[in-house]
Parts: sequence; structure tokens; C-alpha cells
Amino acid sequence: MENGYLALVLNAHMPFVRRPEYPRFLEERWLFEAISETYLPLLRMFRSLEADGVSFHLSLSISPTLASMLSDKILGDKYIAYLDAQLALAAAEEERIGGDPAFGPLARMYKNLYRADKDDFVELYGRDILAAFDYYYKKGRVELLTSAATHAFLPLFRDSPESIVAQVETAIVTHRNAFGKHPAGFWLPQLGWYPGVAEVLRAYNVQYTVVTTKGAIFGDPTPERGSFAPVECPAGLLAFVRDAEAANAVLSESSGYPSDPVYRDFYRDIGFDLPANYLQGHLEGSEERIFTGFKYWAVTGRTNNKVPYNPLSAQAKAAQHAAQFLADRSKEAENAAKLMDRPPLMVCPFDAELFGHWWFEGPAFLEALFRLTASSSGLGMITLGDYARCYPQNQISTPEFSSWGDGGFAEVWLDGSNDWIYRHISKAIERMSELAERFPDESGLRERILNQAAREVLISMCSDWALLMRSGKSSAFGRKQIEEAISNFSRIYDMLCSNTVSTEWLTKLEKRDNLFPDINYRMYRKKR
Amino acid sequence: MIDVKTEKLEALSLEELYALADRTGLDLPPGLERPFVIEEIAEVLEEEEEESEERHVSQGEALHVDEKKYSDLRIDDIGIDPPPAEEAIVSRYNETMIRAIARDPSWAFAYWDVSDADLATMRGDETTAGLFLRVVEIGQKEKKAASEGHQEYFDIPVNDGDLQWYINLPRSGVRFRIELCARKLGLGKFHVLARSNEVESPRQSLALPKGGFKNVSYVLLSLSGIEDLPLDDLPDGNPLRLSHAGLGEPADRAY
Repeated sequence: MENGYLALVLNAHMPFVRRPEYPRFLEERWLFEAISETYLPLLRMFRSLEADGVSFHLSLSISPTLASMLSDKILGDKYIAYLDAQLALAAAEEERIGGDPAFGPLARMYKNLYRADKDDFVELYGRDILAAFDYYYKKGRVELLTSAATHAFLPLFRDSPESIVAQVETAIVTHRNAFGKHPAGFWLPQLGWYPGVAEVLRAYNVQYTVVTTKGAIFGDPTPERGSFAPVECPAGLLAFVRDAEAANAVLSESSGYPSDPVYRDFYRDIGFDLPANYLQGHLEGSEERIFTGFKYWAVTGRTNNKVPYNPLSAQAKAAQHAAQFLADRSKEAENAAKLMDRPPLMVCPFDAELFGHWWFEGPAFLEALFRLTASSSGLGMITLGDYARCYPQNQISTPEFSSWGDGGFAEVWLDGSNDWIYRHISKAIERMSELAERFPDESGLRERILNQAAREVLISMCSDWALLMRSGKSSAFGRKQIEEAISNFSRIYDMLCSNTVSTEWLTKLEKRDNLFPDINYRMYRKKR
Repeated sequence: MIDVKTEKLEALSLEELYALADRTGLDLPPGLERPFVIEEIAEVLEEEEEESEERHVSQGEALHVDEKKYSDLRIDDIGIDPPPAEEAIVSRYNETMIRAIARDPSWAFAYWDVSDADLATMRGDETTAGLFLRVVEIGQKEKKAASEGHQEYFDIPVNDGDLQWYINLPRSGVRFRIELCARKLGLGKFHVLARSNEVESPRQSLALPKGGFKNVSYVLLSLSGIEDLPLDDLPDGNPLRLSHAGLGEPADRAY
């Protein structure tokens, strides 16, 4: 028996940013960067561990919008074009600084990485990243979870139960279509929990989710095992509890591992360092200065005088941090185990894009962690599903409304920068329910238009738009996504009320917002 | 490292720069030389960015990861793009309604509207004397209903043009609804125009079981990081009371 368990839970998510009408679209780069810096490196890590016979267990949520985009042919083509542009920039960089002893090897490192990305994406995975993750899912190494259809922050919509149902049902259908299995686990976007969501999830046979430490501890009744075991809601859903210490070790802005001086600096990028005329032609036609992904400097400290990045030192530091992380968790488990009737569980939920995209050495940290746990006794890695099977009896308790955002509630998604959106989204949900009641059994063109209306409502609910507005980063883009979705929905609503349909416009919209092909607008009907 | 903001500002005409200065709240004298205009605007934008960064760091938010997914800076981020000429969606739906959302233990958000017809009726009625919100406590979580025949409430006067408001709640863990009311002349007279949905603010206290709580469980809560949580209260005799004394909510912690 292990002395304790570590459950690593990653949430891979990107909002729906597909814009086929443009040959290049800046926000699509978010997806391409995540593929190159996180999803492909994770798969490379799985291959490496498997090749060495290292046992690894990981829970990974792939959000429905990300799954939709990863299976899209147009975005696949655009990703290859992105890689070609990156390789061209890598060649130019090698010519520019190839002879420099500090920076030449880094230019070659990027060239090799983008080459490996193209080989993996095109040759190894046949442009199908979902199938690559599914391979490890079917082998039992990686447990795949789903998340709300458009990553809506569910607590803010709790008074529109039909909208919660729509988010959950669409997610389940998308997951089943992508992986051929019903998801047992559900990642609550932003760990946004509210009492009542368990009933909806259980109605769709979801067995478990993850909540914050705060949500669990303020739950009713207070959990007797603290965060070291899940609680079971009266509806039967298991709520695993985030381990606060583990989260802080990584996420703390001031002392988290990614802030170590030897790691690669996220912000210092040649897109902001080199003359515009050099960069033009390498940035997919963008006239803006943007992050190119070519970063040559280490974090160093809070200074503009950065030192050159040294990959070997950084890799060594990642291994050191993995050992530290494991030692700290072992100590934590040892203290808790003395007081418990079962091995303590430490659940570590993170955004997947933390590893690789933001924290360049993150995948190396994870790989070292898996290797260390496999080779040492003490803590074992476990998936949420395996833990639920091993320990089916848990204390009954209902967690309190909570999230992992600032303050632990809904401040991020509801403040002066974004509060205006809820009037419109709520109205769209109300009208969508009205349409579903008025037209419960449509087929043909009317069913198409009702399904598109349902898609637009889901898009408007995406929590990323509110986050963008609050963060001040691409806030106009976030605003525009909501305005477009609401405007498209309102146009459909008016069409159905006046019984006039513009098929040309509808077809164009269906081609652009093509996510969730099997959506069923009837899920917005009120439950009786 | 190239100063992107200045580079972008350099590309604007003097007229555009003055318009931008207006939008950033700068009151520049007319006829100022172009480099000075750019310098003034860049300084304000820099200050805003620093404030934003400081806010984020001090709050230690996990969401930094989310924000970093969206790594590219759009020109709108420094406010150079003018606001859209016309609204892409309607601003209101011309119906009399009010809706409430619980945001956190201390604050709720309410938005409302009064239809043109109701507004016209109100304006034509000389006995109507303005709008107010009545926040009615329906019960606490632990006690599902308020005392029979007695409901606690408080009123917030609002102007005709107001359409939304953040409401400071007197305590956490309460169920409440908000009523949009029109005050009538005469002491205490009013007319309820709309009632909101019922909402619950989250509790920030422990819900200890009536049968008691094991001492080992207090230690497990402590190991789970309860000292880092903002607790409204702790029961007398609770071993956590001592360890929690004097600790505020830490700035850079996950919970």
C-alpha cells in the first residue's frame, strides 16, 4: 500500500477562436502556440515514459471547444502554415545569430522543436492529436475528462438550469464523439462550483469533479479529512479537493517554481526586441508586434538586464524542482497519514497550458516527477477514477460556492469590466428556452437554425471572454465575441418570430461557427 | 526591448493622439508638440499597466495561466482604437424586470429595467416618487426560513437612469431576493414593479456537524490550509481559533 497518492489533473482548454474567413487570424495563434508548446510536448513526454517502461497516471480534461478545434481540418491546415512560418523565422534567426555562442544554440533549438512539431503532427499523428491522446486513454495511462461545452463559469448561470444542462449535455456528446467513451469525470471551468451542479452532473452519469480547498472546507458539513480525501455529494457525485500547498508551489507569482531565475523568460521575445522590418514577413502577415515564440533570455529577476537562457541549467532545475515537489508532498502525506484511516490523497489541478506555454520547462518538470514517483516508494500517482474505484466510501458533504479565481468566488467573471454581458446572455438563454418550447419537434431547415441558435448561446457563455475583458488583454476581442454571438442569436430569434429565414446567411454562419455538429437545441426545454 | 506603446503611438496622427488623450482622461493644452503628447499618453498607459500588474501580483491569482494563453497584445489593449461607432447589440430589452446574481459573500449584482410603457405610466402618476431596490433576506442557509411573519430588508434608492448596481450584503451565507420598487407619496407607500430570482450568498464559516468534530479533523483542516482561508467566525473552544487569530487573507495563496 502506498503512503499517499498524488493525482495530477490537467485542464487543456482554448476558447473557440476559429475564423476560416481569414487566411490568418491572430487569436488562432493561441491554439497553435498551445499545440506546439503544450499538447505535443505532453505527448512526447508520454512516448518517452512509455519507451522507458515508466508507469504514469494522469487525469486530463480536454475541453469541448478545444476538441472541436483539434479535429478541424481548416485549423489543421493553418497550423501547418504556422509551423512553416516558424521554421522560416528559425532559418532567418540561425543566419542572424547562428555563430553566437550563447544564442546560436538557442536558434537551433527552436528550429529543431518546430521541425519535431511538424514531423509529429503530420507524420506521427496524421494531424489527429485527439487520437494521440485517445491512444493513452485506451491504454489506461491517461484518464480523459470533459468540461463545460464552452468553458462557461457555471455558478453565474445557476438560475438558468437549462443553460447548465446545455453546457453539460453538449460536453458529454462531444466527448463521446471524440473518444467513443462516456466521460466519468468533469472539469468545472475555473473550478467554479455551486451547490446544485452535482445534481445536473449526476443526471448525465458524471461520477466526479474537482473543487477548491475553500469550497470543500466551507462545505456542509465540514469535511473530516480536510482536503486529503474527496467528499460525496448527496446526489452521489464525488468532489475531489485541490491541495492548496501543491498549488502554491507552482502557481505563486512570487515563489512558484516558474519564477526561478534560470527558467526561460515568457515575456522577452524577439517579437518585441527586433526591428519591425526584420520581423515583417515572418509573422504570418501580422502588422502588429506579437509574441513569436523565439525567446532567448532567462527570467533572471525583476530586471530588464536579463541573462541568456541556458537550456541545460533550466532542465536540471526542473528535475530539482520535481524532486522538491515530491519531497514536500511526501512530508505532507506523512503528516496527514498519521491521522487518517486511509492513505491521504493530494489532488493537483492545473491548466495544461501552464506546462510548456507559460512555463517552458513544465513538461520536463512533469516527466521528472513521473520518473521519480515510479522509481521511489512512498507516494503513488493515481487518476481520479482509479482513486474513486479504490475508495468508494466517502463522507457525505456538499461543497460551498467557490472557484480558483481571485478571491475564490466570481469576482473575475463579474466586475465593472464585464458585468454588462449577463443581461444579454441571460436574455438569450431565456429566449432559447422559449424557442425550444415553441418548436419542440422541428426537422430540416428549422432544426438547423434552432441548432445554430443553441450554438451561439453556448459561445456567448464562454468564461474566457469575460476574463479577457477583465484582464485588459485583447479585451475588444472578448467583447466582440460576445456581441457577435448575441447578435447572431438575436437575428435567428427574430427570423423564427417572423417566419423568414435567410438560408445563405445561416449556411455561412454554420460554416464559421461549426463546433458541436451533433448539438440538440431541445436540451434548452424546461425540465418538467 | 522596444517600447511597443511608443512605437504604436508614433504611427498616429496628432488628431488621433489628442482623441486618445481624451479617452485616457488626459487634459492636454491645445497646440502641444507631438513628442510631448506621445510622452504624456505613454506615461499614463505605463502607469495603468503597472497598477494592473501590481493588482494581479498582490492577488496571486491562478488565472495568470489563463491570461498567458492569450499571449498577444492587440492594439485595442492600449486604447488607441476608438470605441465602436454604434452598439452591436441593443442595450436593453424594454421589459420590466430585475435579476440578481450572488458574486461573493459580500456582494451581489443586480440589473433591471423598466419598460417604456411602465415608465410612461409612472411619469404620468403624480404620486410616484422615484425608484428604490428592496433587498429582502429570505433566510440563512442554516435556518432555511426567516422568522415567521418577519423578514429583514434594507432599501437602496436608485435613479431612473440606473440599470444595474452592486449591493453590499450585510453578512455571508444568506438567501435573499431583490425587489424593484416605485415609491409612492405618503409614508411608507410603494409599489413593487418586479421581483428578482432568489439567490444565496456563499458562506464563509465552518458547518461543523452537531455531533461534534474530531480533534484529528481539526488538524487535518489545518494541514489542508484552513489558516489561509478568510473565516467569518470560529466556534468557541475550537482548536483552530488560536492558530487562526490575527491571520488575514494572505495575498499570494491558492485556496
